[in-house]
Amino acid sequence: MIKSRSSWTHRTLMLLLMIYLLLPLLATFLYGFAKEWQTTVLPESWTLEWIREMFKDIRFLEALWTSLYLCLISIALSLAVMLPAVFVITVYLPKWETFMKGLVVLPYAVPGVVAAVGLIRTYSSGPINIAGTAYILIGAYFVVVLPYMYQGIRNSLLTVSAVELLNAAELLGASRMRAFVTIILPNIWPGVIISTLLSFSVLFGEFVLTNMLVGGHIQTIQVYLYQRVGESGHLASAIAISYFLFILVMSTILMKLGKKMNREVER
Amino acid sequence: MKARNRWMLLGLVPFALMVLAFQFAPLLSMLTGSISKSGASGFTFAHYDKIFHSAYYLKAIKNSLLIAVYSSLIGIIVGLLCAYSITRFTPRIRDRLLMLSNMTSNFAGVPLAFAYIILLGNNGVFTLLFKQWGWDIFSGFNLYSWTGLVLVYVYFQVPLALLLLYPSFYGIRDQWREAAALLGASRWQFWRTVGLPMLTPAIFGTLGILFANAMGAYATAYALVGGNYNLLAIRIGSLVAGDVVNQPELGSALAVLLALSTLLAVVLNHKMSKRSQQFTASYASNPNLKRSRSRGRRQGDAVQEGVNP
Amino acid sequence: MNTSYLELQGIRKTFGASTVLNNVDLTIQEGELVTLLGPSGCGKSTLLRCIAGLTEPDGGRIILERKDIASLPPRSREVGMVFQSYALFPNLTVYENMEYGLKMRGVAKKERETRCEELLALVDLADKRDAFPQHLSGGQQQRVALARSLAVQPKVLLLDEPLSALDAKIRKNLRMEIREIQKRLKMTTIFVTHDQEEALTLSDRICIMNNGHIVQDGSPEALYSTPRTEFVARFMGSYNVLARTEAVRLFGQGVGSADSFALRPESVKLLPLHAEDSEGTQGDKRIVEGTIESVNVLGNIIRYFVQAEGVRLTIDILNDGRSRRSEDGGAVRLVLDPSQLLQLEKEGA
Repeated sequence: MIKSRSSWTHRTLMLLLMIYLLLPLLATFLYGFAKEWQTTVLPESWTLEWIREMFKDIRFLEALWTSLYLCLISIALSLAVMLPAVFVITVYLPKWETFMKGLVVLPYAVPGVVAAVGLIRTYSSGPINIAGTAYILIGAYFVVVLPYMYQGIRNSLLTVSAVELLNAAELLGASRMRAFVTIILPNIWPGVIISTLLSFSVLFGEFVLTNMLVGGHIQTIQVYLYQRVGESGHLASAIAISYFLFILVMSTILMKLGKKMNREVER
Repeated sequence: MKARNRWMLLGLVPFALMVLAFQFAPLLSMLTGSISKSGASGFTFAHYDKIFHSAYYLKAIKNSLLIAVYSSLIGIIVGLLCAYSITRFTPRIRDRLLMLSNMTSNFAGVPLAFAYIILLGNNGVFTLLFKQWGWDIFSGFNLYSWTGLVLVYVYFQVPLALLLLYPSFYGIRDQWREAAALLGASRWQFWRTVGLPMLTPAIFGTLGILFANAMGAYATAYALVGGNYNLLAIRIGSLVAGDVVNQPELGSALAVLLALSTLLAVVLNHKMSKRSQQFTASYASNPNLKRSRSRGRRQGDAVQEGVNP
Repeated sequence: MNTSYLELQGIRKTFGASTVLNNVDLTIQEGELVTLLGPSGCGKSTLLRCIAGLTEPDGGRIILERKDIASLPPRSREVGMVFQSYALFPNLTVYENMEYGLKMRGVAKKERETRCEELLALVDLADKRDAFPQHLSGGQQQRVALARSLAVQPKVLLLDEPLSALDAKIRKNLRMEIREIQKRLKMTTIFVTHDQEEALTLSDRICIMNNGHIVQDGSPEALYSTPRTEFVARFMGSYNVLARTEAVRLFGQGVGSADSFALRPESVKLLPLHAEDSEGTQGDKRIVEGTIESVNVLGNIIRYFVQAEGVRLTIDILNDGRSRRSEDGGAVRLVLDPSQLLQLEKEGA
């Protein structure tokens, strides 16, 4: 009897939490399809006009494209740099992990605004003048996703016991490079894909650095959304909805992949 | 490292370059900037002096601290209750709930501010509804004020607190609860004597992350109130990117102060997570507890789920 | 023909302040199976990793077929190794795992195939050819790991506690299988274990290690019957280790000059207190009286703990169904044979 009563409290609590968390999402969603919505609980009439307008808006499509390619370039760069680095550190220099753990919490210790201040000061004059260009943004994005990449690659290496696999491959006559390519990479790949997707959704939602570093010159989806909020609420809703759908799809894939990985590890 | 492994160090070169260029050089530049004279060479504490004698900047610092403290405290209380609640569900439902929380924790910054404007802004759906229904209690509410900001901040703190806290509830094993019950402790006594002490490091650690998260939050406030509300992060932004005046040195000094506060919070988190590891270490070596260990790993990931909005 | 095949000379290794290997010398003949036996932390796995080239010794020479291989990288040493956790490549099938080494050596596809098929048959896994390692049982995984390291025909096979992750029954079957394969291929093998029973049943020769050096080596029979030190006596079985005063009390003054002695539990006979003296005191055997403290039946033997002359002795009697079980607290007579009392050297001597 106690159990059923407590479970009832928990149910109510969770229900309230979910309403609280989902209400803003729901409101945005409805607003994106609403024609008239003034003084009623639900919109009075519906329309697809905003969605249509969004896709006709050349600036939206451009911003979407800009976001996509900036994210892709940054993540490709991050993978190219982080894979060998994390591999070397985890396998050969475990003593450095303390330093890496420090780097991993830095995004909390150094929030975006602070990082932007430093980046602008460093690169707006002097030998490397890349302020306002995509280069500085890609560099900043590299730092943003660094914790996710490090954590993801490192965990994968540890889960597959990379050191032992590497030893085995070497004893069988493989060179370091060959062992890395034929054994380590294929085995950590699922974990790496997860951190890649996670990084991607983080970068897609990045606003602070983008706006402060290149806001005037380069429009990503977030910057564009910010500008649109003041103009047409309905159109902004439509944009926000497509953004959420994207995040939703990402989270679902991440969750599915994560579960699959866990199952394989436990087997 | 063995001699014939030396060349492996080459793999670290690009990484070191990137981290130096985009993590450490900017931090250093910010530090030096905060103590160098504007427009001239030389070393000065004038910027800090100015900040601590300016009612305007002091107010910004105070506002930021208050908002961070309030939103973190509310966030941790709600998060704690919900985290406990979430562990009482079957794994299937639990995972769904966690996914939803995770998704909404991504929902911060501009879209979040926008959603709240739709709901509670000057022409927001609820605002108009309440007006029509004549609910006067809400007529004093203003989304673009301090209360409004706290409300929105709490929104992104709760899922983060939930995600960071719920794994530690699995550290409290049912067998302890049963053992305590057999020894004659009531539910409340168990939580007071064993449960909560076990959770304390996790709670303070999470509090540190929440505080840092709120202190550094920029996008949400910026999108909601623009430059109109006096917050530290907003002030820094406007001084550096310069809507009004461009004073990078003063901005650097403010940024150093902000970084100091968040750094302290993160150090607190670090200390606390070390302590909670001591608690968990005693049973992590037990091979039968595979489940709790894999959760431990997920906890590490969860710390990374939080994003500076 | 009796020249050494693999020779270790003065291998030293320290990790920080602790000395893991302290001038280890060891010679192994071709085709021999040598076991490194010792408690965890005695340095046996480190020694194995030094031979494989996975750990770099601080000093010493490793000579394989008259060639010093100490400075070669692992892949050029022609040494095979089976790891405790098998280290099978999860992204490759059983067959691909076995073929991996041959591929790395550039062996032609045809030859790879014949070699791997042979080995698959040898370890009895032909039907698991295309399975992935994570779908196999622990014992099957172990056999794949063995076949994988044999595929490249190494000069020496190293086995690092290969059976420790398996349960008792599979472990016993698999160790006989390993021994058979080793004999058939005449594979020079070094086997690391902490299980003395495993070492006794498996080896041509056992090296007992403690604190970074080999304290005694010899055939299983020799090691079991004549332990030289207290450590070996305790490690090899449930020897009674007696201090000098205790030995004198039981056996009289003529026990010899050593400080401590070992007495095998099965070398003592028990007689009821008033039994007819049928086999008793012939020769120089001694009889003392004692009290039974407790009795354990361990299947084919019965183990008694007996207090006699102030010494607590472990005594094993064959459980042939005829022997009368004496009760706890019962008085008995012990027949002691001084020729079975072994003198022990001091530790580290």
